[in-house]
Amino acid sequence: MLAWLRIVIDVLIACGAFFALVGVLGILRMPDTFCRMQASTCVNTLGVIGLCLGALLYAIVLKQDAGSAVKIALIGLLILVTNPIGAHSIAKGAYKAGIRPEKPMETDDLGRDSE
Amino acid sequence: MKTDLIVFAVLFAALAAVSLIRLVKGPTSADRMVAADAADILICCAMVLFALYSGRGIYLDIAIIGALLGIVDTMLVGRFLEKGGKK
Amino acid sequence: MRKTTFPAVLSTFLVCYAFWLLLTWSVAAQELIAGAVVSLLAALFASRFFIHEKAGWLFNPAKFFVGLFYWVCVFPVELIKANCDMAGRVLGGCKNVKPGIVKIPVDLKSDYGRAALANSITLTPGTITMEITEEGEQAYYYVHWIDAQSDGAEAGEAIKGRMEKWIRRFWEK
Repeated sequence: MLAWLRIVIDVLIACGAFFALVGVLGILRMPDTFCRMQASTCVNTLGVIGLCLGALLYAIVLKQDAGSAVKIALIGLLILVTNPIGAHSIAKGAYKAGIRPEKPMETDDLGRDSE
Repeated sequence: MKTDLIVFAVLFAALAAVSLIRLVKGPTSADRMVAADAADILICCAMVLFALYSGRGIYLDIAIIGALLGIVDTMLVGRFLEKGGKK
Repeated sequence: MRKTTFPAVLSTFLVCYAFWLLLTWSVAAQELIAGAVVSLLAALFASRFFIHEKAGWLFNPAKFFVGLFYWVCVFPVELIKANCDMAGRVLGGCKNVKPGIVKIPVDLKSDYGRAALANSITLTPGTITMEITEEGEQAYYYVHWIDAQSDGAEAGEAIKGRMEKWIRRFWEK
């Protein structure tokens, strides 16, 4: 029973690590600023969810420590709730500051409407 | 018995270090800010795993503070760019 | 500026106090009293930013279960699909991207609903809401999309998916 649980926990954390790896690779290799923002969303959605679920199972079942479990759940919840606000703010700020990709975008409705 | 936790913690910390390449290289300040935000969150994840490994709850408190302050500096740079900062 | 009303202060106080109890995780008398004082102060100062419409919307059980179903069953499916899509693009060499900013119509009336839909769209990898405008009654989002194939209402269907229906069920009616 406990060995199965260890395997489940390891698989969850490994999923989180895989999506974090994908996000970091995207930040390094994507061609322009806005695409890098899109890739960084991978880190703080499924990366954080996978890690927090694994850590939560570990804290509840193996350590039986309710205080740590609540704090881990709060960390995951706080990152998930606050992250989109930062993403809106930085994307809008980058567009307003005149940052454009080198290759022109397919459609640019915001640029068309704000002229 | 707890080796897997510390292995994953080191992996997350290494990913944070890799994302700092974009922080150094990034052509615009928005790029740098995105990379710094990702590094902050990855360090929080590593800290959660290390707290479970070492059994000290203080790392979880630091991870909460890190997650809360990460959003503040992202929004600060976003507002600065929006109100007419330089690229 | 909105006025500070009693129901707004009460609901903000309850949320802050629950957060305090979760963080300290002890029932010693001095912790409880200090938490009550701090969350009352926070509620007095912050409730006019926190509550924009009816104050009791969070404590309605039927709505609560609809919201729980959305955040536990509907939204994660969209999240996992979008994440796998983004993983395929990144591991395929980052060549398969067609970035663009599209303008999509949104049929939600309340502020909370619009904010929740914008956050849901931003949280799925591949789309970031950048700006929100109103033309008459109709609201529009400007969304940066990594795979901009279509435009207007068709793009709206592809981006919003099932999320808009559930958010309307949660925050309106």
